[in-house]
Amino acid sequence: MQRFVVLTLNGLTEGSIYAAMALALVMIWRATRVVNFAQGAMAMFTTYLALFSLERGAPYWLAFVIALLCGFVLGAVVERVLVRPVESAPPLNVVILTLGLLLVLEALAPMLFGGQIRSFPSAFSIVGIRLGSLQVPFSSFDLFTLVSVLVLMALLLLLFQRTDLGLRMRAAAFNAEVSRLLGIRVGRMLTLGWALASLVGALAGLLIAPSLLLYPTYMDQVLVFGFTGAILGGLDSPPGAVIGGLSMGFALSYVGGYFGSDLETVGALVILIAVLMVRPRGLLAWRAQRVV
Amino acid sequence: MLEIVDLTVAYGPVVALERVSFRVAEGSVMAVLGANGAGKTTLVRTISGLVRPRSGSIRFDQKEISRLAPEAIARLGIGHVPEGRGVLAELTVEENLRLGGLWRTDRADRGTALSEAYELFRPLAERRHLPAFTLSGGERQMLSIARALSARPRVLLLDEPSLGLASLVLIQIMARIKQLVQQRQLTVVLIEQNARSALSVADDAVVLSLGRVVAHDQARRLASEEGLRHAYLGF
Repeated sequence: MQRFVVLTLNGLTEGSIYAAMALALVMIWRATRVVNFAQGAMAMFTTYLALFSLERGAPYWLAFVIALLCGFVLGAVVERVLVRPVESAPPLNVVILTLGLLLVLEALAPMLFGGQIRSFPSAFSIVGIRLGSLQVPFSSFDLFTLVSVLVLMALLLLLFQRTDLGLRMRAAAFNAEVSRLLGIRVGRMLTLGWALASLVGALAGLLIAPSLLLYPTYMDQVLVFGFTGAILGGLDSPPGAVIGGLSMGFALSYVGGYFGSDLETVGALVILIAVLMVRPRGLLAWRAQRVV
Repeated sequence: MLEIVDLTVAYGPVVALERVSFRVAEGSVMAVLGANGAGKTTLVRTISGLVRPRSGSIRFDQKEISRLAPEAIARLGIGHVPEGRGVLAELTVEENLRLGGLWRTDRADRGTALSEAYELFRPLAERRHLPAFTLSGGERQMLSIARALSARPRVLLLDEPSLGLASLVLIQIMARIKQLVQQRQLTVVLIEQNARSALSVADDAVVLSLGRVVAHDQARRLASEEGLRHAYLGF
């Protein structure tokens, strides 16, 4: 039972990071119908930028904000410079392009920052919180991870559901042509969508770096797990992405804890295959159905 | 106010419009008639900037607009109700309506425009918080027109509003638009395959055939020209 609690808490923390990654992928998918395979590498790069700032004496929170802002800018630049020119090309072109970007970033990182494995500091203690005499396997940093992901998601929800800007962004994602007829500057909205998604990814990169350690490919598995979470949720649904990402966290934690950590990745694949067989359009597919 | 001069549009080697010219006066309704494939939809899509012309010009208040982006043209006050309506099904009725005037900076007037829309099209008010995919075909048409009107356009491009609509609903909608033409000097370009109903509301009309203008006159005179009616309008 105690083991179950430990694994559940662990799954919750990791799941929130996969949820952030899944959300980033879904935001870009909804805006431009592109699966951004470079999402993880972009987050890796911004986390290196945070480490770079830390090493030059920046306080942790400044480095944290720098990474998020760089993520925002990087997302905007990638959309403007790389994705926009191939907008009307077959969808596969853009996918290949994001794979290319993944390779470029992972090759560039060791050249700029060195290829060795580095440790990355965490904002708070990673030792379990003490409740009286009981030490729970849930640290202040785990709590921070969970809360910061939740806060960011709540802010995004507010933006999309409660503001004019969010309404414009949703309209541009649903139907670019009609939106343009309504005077919406669709190009700007898509750039902003990529920028925000990339910021979400950058947060995931920062939060998982203390436990995974920092090296040029450390986000690859996070991307795979986040992508699986996004597929579980139906790829088109932000709440689905969050639920899918959390489910991945729990499932991987249980698989790793009860069957051995070597099986985690295999476990992810088994879950993905099982869900796709039972619900090919994702767990939340019923939400996407509509009467025409 | 809207002037089209020698407009030629081609999709690759296929010429969709060839040297089309006509002029629409402020506060009037211009019907654009013709069979399927005559180039009617291409014409309005070119006016609103979705299609780039090969040559010729489109002037709105003496200003050349044929090279502007669609969003810039919309912001000049040209509203386009696309064929197939273009309602954003995933958004609610109210969100769809709000989108229409979102680019306008006068926030107070946006609210007024919203309540006017509900007044004009009452069924929309009852469903304001429902997603637009729950609407019937006629309600979607209302929503699409109301959304375009809430931007307070000076020109309204209507592409086949009669498509899939019960004729009673269509008559109501057209009567309301006609009202706006008279009260606010709205200018309307009305694309229709159903020539008889279009000519009954229009002041002037052009008839397109295979991308060319084959007739251009006052609507009631066109309606009385028997040869033309038989050859191009089918009634």
